[in-house]
Amino acid sequence: MLAFKLAFKNLIGAGLKTWLNVLVLSLSFVIIIFYNSMMDGWDQQAQTDTIAWEIGQGQLWEKDYDPYDPYTLIDAHAPISPEMKSQVESDALVPVLITQASVYPQGRMQNILLKGIPSDQQLLDLPTSALGTDGDETKAIIGKRMAEATKLKEGDKVLLRWRDKNGTFDAREITIANVFDNNVPSIDNGQVWLPLSTLQDMTGMQDEATLLVTGSNYVPVNNENWTFKGHEFLLADLKTIIQSKKGSAAIMYILLLGIALLAIFDTQVFSIFRRQKEIGTYIALGMTRSQVVKLFTIEGGAHSILAAVVGAIYGIPLFIYLKNVGIPIPAASQNAGVPMASEIIPVYGISLILSTILLVVIAATIVSYLPARKIARMNPTEALKGKIQ
Amino acid sequence: MNTASIISIKNMTKRFPVGKGEFTALENINLEFGEGEFAGLVGPSGSGKTTLLNIIGSLDSPTEGTATVMGKNIAQLSHKESALLRNLHIGFIFQSYNLLPVYTVFENVEFALLLQNHTASERRKAVMDALEWVGLTDKVKSKPAMLSGGEGQRVAIARAMVKRPKILLADEPSANLDAKNSHQILKTMKQLNKELKTTFIFSTHDEKVMQYLDRTISLADGKVVKDELTVAANAG
Ligand SMILES: Nc1ncnc2c1ncn2[C@@H]1O[C@H](COP(=O)(O)OP(=O)(O)OP(=O)(O)O)[C@@H](O)[C@H]1O
Ligand SMILES: [Mg+2]
Repeated sequence: MLAFKLAFKNLIGAGLKTWLNVLVLSLSFVIIIFYNSMMDGWDQQAQTDTIAWEIGQGQLWEKDYDPYDPYTLIDAHAPISPEMKSQVESDALVPVLITQASVYPQGRMQNILLKGIPSDQQLLDLPTSALGTDGDETKAIIGKRMAEATKLKEGDKVLLRWRDKNGTFDAREITIANVFDNNVPSIDNGQVWLPLSTLQDMTGMQDEATLLVTGSNYVPVNNENWTFKGHEFLLADLKTIIQSKKGSAAIMYILLLGIALLAIFDTQVFSIFRRQKEIGTYIALGMTRSQVVKLFTIEGGAHSILAAVVGAIYGIPLFIYLKNVGIPIPAASQNAGVPMASEIIPVYGISLILSTILLVVIAATIVSYLPARKIARMNPTEALKGKIQ
Repeated sequence: MNTASIISIKNMTKRFPVGKGEFTALENINLEFGEGEFAGLVGPSGSGKTTLLNIIGSLDSPTEGTATVMGKNIAQLSHKESALLRNLHIGFIFQSYNLLPVYTVFENVEFALLLQNHTASERRKAVMDALEWVGLTDKVKSKPAMLSGGEGQRVAIARAMVKRPKILLADEPSANLDAKNSHQILKTMKQLNKELKTTFIFSTHDEKVMQYLDRTISLADGKVVKDELTVAANAG
């Protein structure tokens, strides 16, 4: 306790240098917490959006379906069993039929995935109601990324070419009924959504689907044509990407923390050199060497406690502000293929904050201890003369 | 000396390694100090005064022979034991005062007591008593940088005396003081010596200090060349 009291006195007494170190250290605190909370916020938002727009409570995949291999699409479709059909009625299942096709915006061919989905589904946030089948036009919806890439707008007509059941090419004009804003590139990039029944007619795959999205009221069915893929599987890629982004950001704050720790280390080395007389005096007054080592270690380590306090003073208002307004994300990063909103609401985990504080306190104490060990080998009479090099 | 011996130095030699050889700073010293002595080590620069005080203060140890302080053989003490000996029984006063700059006068004086088990009110009383002895009760809250040289040295005396040590070692305590301050400080120390029966051992070149000594030990080239009782001026 005494050591803590003395350490803080000495530290505050050292003035400007202390506060500079504390400021740099507090910056690393705030940045570590800021960055991680942003990543956690992103992770959460990306998961929520992916669930709401694409995967629901999981998907039933036709056994041959492999999203990484478009050539499997030719075979990856199967009839929706009667048992499943009743669940489709109640919106517990939403069938999606997927096939390859091309569109010709401005006369230039672009390969796409053509996806059929019931226009009356409510399970996913996709604005499928815009696909309403009234009228003789074939209505389609596309995401904002696709719209940007193809320069298609609402109301535009575009030529669609696909292979029918017999493998022969067929073509017709479709109308873009809606361009939807979304944060989930995997339902957007290179994709055109049509009414399921239309696509089934076009391909001759009546009552068939490639996958079915499940809702929370879905009752598991046992059918060898379909395998259930849960969140853990469907969100795995997302998690991997976010983890790797977190990892590469760690380099940044390890660097920042490194600078702060180096500053403390330097201060310690300098202070032990400059304060030899003081060290000699402590020993003359009856402190043991290990008590003096402890005092200097705590003094250096206490930088981190001050930094936590200082970081809290400007960090807490900043974090609360960001929680309220969100962190704006540049448009470019939203096209990176990972679900990312234009604003991320940071998520502050108590364990993140505590472990960050613990990490910084331990690191600061260690870099303070290393130079302080030298005191234990000091000759007190030399220290009192202040002559040690 | 009719009082009990509290410092006993027998056939003591101190050598320092210098380059490849050794330098003999103290050679075959034999000295006894009793309770309540007011003694001084005098001698030219380099004669070994500081070295001798450091050994008595258990900051250093003899190369040969023995130094026994308060019944403890200095050479055989562990770091911890010698720290305890200093903390309980030995006060130091340095030429440059060595006050701790970030602490107030009160805290500087209190420091030695913090290492022992005293309650806050015991400490407060002891610190105020010590500051009373040196006449600085009005500077309790000052920082060392705000004090004059004489005041700084008086704080150093209060810090050394606050724990009522058996032995007080003062290495050139008046070297940075003018005549008036020197006399004042010596009078204070002499008075404390009488009241508390503390053994004072000085090292000094200073004629003004010598006047106050009851015993003057002359060192030259690391040897005791004279050890005599002196009639102190201002003895009353
Ligand atoms: N650590 C050391 N290493 C080598 N030589 C030393 C060491 N300490 C002291 N000496 C030498 O021992 C001798 C006695 O030194 P000491 O400091 O005791 O002298 P002193 O009488 O206190 O002198 P002064 O009046 O100048 O303070 C000096 O010659 C000094 O150079
Ligand atoms: Mg000396």
